[in-house]
Amino acid sequence: MEQILEQLPIVLKALNVGFLQTLKLFFVTLIGAFPLGLLIAFGSMSHFKPLSYFTKMIVWIIRGTPLMIQLLIIYYFPGLVLHNPIWGGGETGRFVAASVSFILNYACYFSEIYRGGIQGVPVGQEEAGLVLGMTKGQIFVKITLLQMIKRIVPPMSNEIITLVKDTSLARIIALQEIIWAGQAFMKGSQGISGAIWPLFFTAIYYLICNGILTILLGRLEKKLDYFK
Amino acid sequence: MKKILVLMLTILLAFSLVGCGDAKETEKTSGSASSDKSSKDSDVAYVKEKGTLVIGITDFAPMDYKDDNGEWIGFDADMAKAFAKSLGVKAEFVEIDWDNKIMELDGKTIDCVWNGMTLTDEVTSSMACSNAYCNNAQIVIVPSDKADKYQDKDSLSDLSFAVEAGSAGEEQVSTLGLKYTAVKAQADALMEVAAGTSDAAVIDSLMAAAMVGEGTSYTDLTYTVGLNNEEYGVGFRKGSDLVSALNDFFAASYADESMQKCAETYGVQAAVIKQ
Repeated sequence: MEQILEQLPIVLKALNVGFLQTLKLFFVTLIGAFPLGLLIAFGSMSHFKPLSYFTKMIVWIIRGTPLMIQLLIIYYFPGLVLHNPIWGGGETGRFVAASVSFILNYACYFSEIYRGGIQGVPVGQEEAGLVLGMTKGQIFVKITLLQMIKRIVPPMSNEIITLVKDTSLARIIALQEIIWAGQAFMKGSQGISGAIWPLFFTAIYYLICNGILTILLGRLEKKLDYFK
Repeated sequence: MKKILVLMLTILLAFSLVGCGDAKETEKTSGSASSDKSSKDSDVAYVKEKGTLVIGITDFAPMDYKDDNGEWIGFDADMAKAFAKSLGVKAEFVEIDWDNKIMELDGKTIDCVWNGMTLTDEVTSSMACSNAYCNNAQIVIVPSDKADKYQDKDSLSDLSFAVEAGSAGEEQVSTLGLKYTAVKAQADALMEVAAGTSDAAVIDSLMAAAMVGEGTSYTDLTYTVGLNNEEYGVGFRKGSDLVSALNDFFAASYADESMQKCAETYGVQAAVIKQ
């Protein structure tokens, strides 16, 4: 116990650095995947068949393969097969490659949630808009969008919370997020070696982060409760 | 509106496809162009052109580890810096996932693996390796209270082992015909023993000295039998001319004793091999 207290400041500092990387990846993924998901949702709902088949195939490929493999392919494929390591070997390159993988992956999951939300809005709403002489664009922005957002908050909360934990997969391409930082002390880092507890301690970071997210998303859900 | 949307999306997709195609083409041409000139023929020229030697490492005291300022130091790190200096380039250290070291090398995200790497068959067949520069051994880790019973190789047969997948330790236990589980890292193998899920582990002696005993989470563990003697080397891409450059550098720094001095700083002078 004394030993742990001695190690605590060093370990916390390293875990904080790792968790910052985790949070960075989390926010970048959300910012990228929210709009891209909507675009993919439009694509797969399109009446223009080639486009909808194409997007559906992309969604199938991305949802049908493990994120870990996607990370490996996106990071190593350019260098191994095309002989041009576009990402570079440094930390920034690894982060960018990880972000691209996560945004693509999560956009595909989001797109299906969006699609469910859009298609769940009763046809009557759209017809009412048409009767009022609104264009399709106006109907989507002014009528469908808000109702869709209300409907998708619970499933999106699920995905967002999963995303916090999924960021740990990025360690496969040596992105030094919090699990990596915790594991480093098992092998030896900064004078502490053979310490198991930092790895398990990382769970507390995830718990606190997801606790805050749960509260925030719960509030959003309540706020949107004023209409049905 | 819908038609416009469809049109826009189609154009976007077309662009992205064309974009991909373009990127791939330029990548191919620029890749092959540069590799014709330098990288395929000469890794030395490729590294010099870039101005950096990217060294793939893991946090592994006393070979590669960070000092208080976050600077990479250690016997391997210091030698790597000196080698990069001799080439006239900057040394850049990148922490990698050890399992992916060959992919990192071939994908050119790193230029060499310099991290107390045991020269196993797997390593020598997939990389171009330098001359061995450091001695090491694979040793058996058991709980201290049972250590007396397992002081020779014959006594090990009824134990279940945990070893790092693809490590020299795994090679040893499988040739001895022992029962074992392959885990992700040497540190995980130790955790298996501490948790009682395996009876014993096999890890590097240089590492065992740092990871087991007083001041670690593994005060109840100790090491007993050495299974073999082995050597550390530096790995490069296959056919790389950096190998001979490094061998020359090793020979020179052994001759002027800068290598031995560097080893003394990190307490590994006894393990250094004559170049």
